[in-house]
Amino acid sequence: MESDRLVSKILLFIDGSEGCIYAAKFGIALAKVTGAELKALYVVNTNLLRQLEKARIFVKVEEIDFGRDLEEDGRRYLRHITELALRKELSLETELLKGNAHELVIQEIRNWNADLLIIGELEPVLSKQDTFHDEAEIIFRKARCSVLVVKNPELVDQIYEELS
Amino acid sequence: MKLSTLLERKNIVVPLLSLDKQPVIEELLDAACATGKVTDRAKALQALLDRERLGSTGLEKGLAIPHARTNAVDGIVLAVGIAPDGVEFQAADGNFSNLFFLLIASEAMTTTYIQILALIARLSQQESFRRNLLAAKTPSEVLDLVKKVEE
Repeated sequence: MESDRLVSKILLFIDGSEGCIYAAKFGIALAKVTGAELKALYVVNTNLLRQLEKARIFVKVEEIDFGRDLEEDGRRYLRHITELALRKELSLETELLKGNAHELVIQEIRNWNADLLIIGELEPVLSKQDTFHDEAEIIFRKARCSVLVVKNPELVDQIYEELS
Repeated sequence: MKLSTLLERKNIVVPLLSLDKQPVIEELLDAACATGKVTDRAKALQALLDRERLGSTGLEKGLAIPHARTNAVDGIVLAVGIAPDGVEFQAADGNFSNLFFLLIASEAMTTTYIQILALIARLSQQESFRRNLLAAKTPSEVLDLVKKVEE
């Protein structure tokens, strides 16, 4: 991290949830103010698809179809976030990965040397035996850098819109 | 997204009156239609039945999650139904199904659809949640239970 900056590399975790778009808007605002580099990462959570198949909620053919469709969804989300950044005259790097979401995000924090991770609001905590756990929560707990959980969508929208 | 944001009293059926698989799906679909998000009921039904032909969505411990993706709906629609006496739904464990979550999403809603399916699975893993839902007598009670567990 450069000594004159509060943050220099901000990683956005994009998971296709409503909250991740607000996380991206907040990240864009923060990068604009701090001059930090920004990267958006979408992970096709093939682990979750396997769990849904294992639990018989999906059949095998659905697991394959949904994997392909999630990849397309991910590319769409990343394009949308790129556009959000460009609207504020900011460029950002994007990457789409496939696999276990929390492992890949934690790995990316290390590889890219991120000093701040921004994520959307977490899902409710249900139990420790929760098989279909919230990946964002695991990332929140295991990340080696600071993690910012973005809440209050109306305020974030206002911050983003007022950004010059 | 929370399940409770997709639920109103009108798309919760307590008790389900149908006694067989397809009628149960249709009864839940009618409740889903009450939300106004189902634009083509026949097409939505066909998508649900086509999915059932790939393998029953009757799971274990009384839970069934009939689901499909089709552009016969606008966005994502959920219906919940409770059949206290159970229905033969060709469940994985061979038992009758009594707790139903019917989920239909448009083709563009893949990510949300998967997240909602995972959330239903998460909630339904909780023994106390399932037990309380099965004891519910009205749609309002079901809605309150879902809201409470998601708080």
